[in-house]
Amino acid sequence: MPFNPLAERGMPLDRQLRSWSELNVQPYRTDAVHPYTRCRAILMNGVEVEAAIFSHQFNRNTPDVKLKQILAQVRRIEQQQQKAVNWLLPAQENVLEVTIGYEQVAVDLTAWLGRNEPDPYLRQVYEFGLLEDFDHLYRYANLMDLLGNGRKAEEITGNYTEIMPGRPTIFEHRDPRDELRRPMTVQAAHRQSMLNALTLVSAEQQTMNYYMNFGNRPANPLARALYLEIAQIEEQHVSHYESCLDPEMGWLTNWLLHEYHECWLYWSCMETEVDPRIRAIWELHLSMELEHLRIAAQCLLEIEGKDAAELFPEGVQAPMTFEENKAYLRDVLARQVDLTAWDSEFVPVDSLPDGHRYFAYQAAVNKGGVPSEDVIARRRTQQGKEYRFQSDGEYPVAALQENGPHDDLGYWRRVRTQGAEVKERMPEMAEQD
Amino acid sequence: MAQKGKHGGVRGAVDKVADTVGGMMGKASAATVSTADSFVENAAIGDMYEIEAARIALQRSRSEPVRVFAQMMLDDHTTATHQMMSALRTSEVSRSQSLQLPAGLDTRRSSMIDHLRKADDADFDKRYLEQQQMAHSETETLLSGYGESGDNPQLASLARSALPMVQRHKAMVERMMQR
Repeated sequence: MPFNPLAERGMPLDRQLRSWSELNVQPYRTDAVHPYTRCRAILMNGVEVEAAIFSHQFNRNTPDVKLKQILAQVRRIEQQQQKAVNWLLPAQENVLEVTIGYEQVAVDLTAWLGRNEPDPYLRQVYEFGLLEDFDHLYRYANLMDLLGNGRKAEEITGNYTEIMPGRPTIFEHRDPRDELRRPMTVQAAHRQSMLNALTLVSAEQQTMNYYMNFGNRPANPLARALYLEIAQIEEQHVSHYESCLDPEMGWLTNWLLHEYHECWLYWSCMETEVDPRIRAIWELHLSMELEHLRIAAQCLLEIEGKDAAELFPEGVQAPMTFEENKAYLRDVLARQVDLTAWDSEFVPVDSLPDGHRYFAYQAAVNKGGVPSEDVIARRRTQQGKEYRFQSDGEYPVAALQENGPHDDLGYWRRVRTQGAEVKERMPEMAEQD
Repeated sequence: MAQKGKHGGVRGAVDKVADTVGGMMGKASAATVSTADSFVENAAIGDMYEIEAARIALQRSRSEPVRVFAQMMLDDHTTATHQMMSALRTSEVSRSQSLQLPAGLDTRRSSMIDHLRKADDADFDKRYLEQQQMAHSETETLLSGYGESGDNPQLASLARSALPMVQRHKAMVERMMQR
């Protein structure tokens, strides 16, 4: 069921402004919401935040007064849309419960995009990031359980997403230069690849922002420590995904891409939403975005003489769908848990040369304790085992099974063999030898 | 480590002439590159040469500025190689042709490496910097030409993204040679 946003007519801009009471939507009921309805609300908040931030950056980089006016008009509506979407989240969900929702978005969104990415290099980029967010869900789920939240992570995620280790967070910390990927080009990239990359930039950026601002809200020192550690990985992930986008596409083309992207995702939400009340919000916002797209296309034509239909000639083929990705995730885990990054390439950690900057970075940030390891160790100490929600059988990597030979993981082996200097700077690792 | 031999000065002069002539031919050839396969081969060999020459310089040079520069060449051209490897895996390149990095240096760049290895200790830094000036001038020509009119958008984009770095390298070499 293809959908061509450029062929559709939306709601005129002068009818899009809503009152405060219209924006102050009724939140969903946390005990009744479908996990993937929560995921859609979180994702679309991230997409609207990206729309607003992008428009502000565009405004700061153009002297064209008329264009600034048009951007400001559209941006005000984007901001209203963000409020209507994000106010769907109820106050009953605390910071950590929302975090579980964010990580479920990261897992099942990235997995779906990986499965549906036509470009083999970009698919590798997504699969690499997927295993890292998958691990975050497991660490936060253990934290939530340790804090006596009264609600387990699986009650938020449902039976849709397994909760178990991915690439261990301790090993995700890499030199910043190793987060930069090879960008695609507007001239030759598959249109779906452009949409996929912008989706992940939006989602990871809002997760980064969320942890930057809310990670200091818990009183528990371990919780604060875990948030700041994972917040740094989200910064890595924003760099990782944004570096896939074409840096030469130009501001107006980029704006068009943003509006087209919002149309695709609101259409996706509308097509897949199970809650009729919330489906109506997606439908309304799609109607608004179609008009934003028309305005961006008109600006592109008038200012640069480019036809939007030449950039997006075919429409989109399928809605982005939140759905189970358990088998795919297990397959990626089995194949790629030992990968790390070196510049734009992904390589087994065993293949890094001695003295590679990865080991120096690891030694610097992991000295003196690692919160993502502490949270699991404390859960084991206090309750005799870690928290996992493993619905589809034995864990696919022996070294990361709960009672598995953890030392056999390539990462542990490789980091340990980096010699005395690293061990001296990582005493807690030396103790585990 | 090469010592100054009885005929070292004559041999060094001959090697320098060979490098210079080869460099001029390489630059002229680089200016004509417009196809993906030719670009990949030239750019990749250029990076391989830079990495190998930098390793030799790190072993042999006694000059701190030269060693710092060589380490930068090793790091930056490794990054450039990785960017090329990634580009070749994108469907933007692979859907039209299957391109791979060349297995090793060509004859001309092998000779340059050989001349660098055989350079007298006293002349090493000068020889390294002279080769660097020529090599970066050639690479600048290659990247600017293919970046402007190359036949594959992904590889042309890669050329444009590497060009500023190579121009900065070239400017650094020229400043070092003026000291």
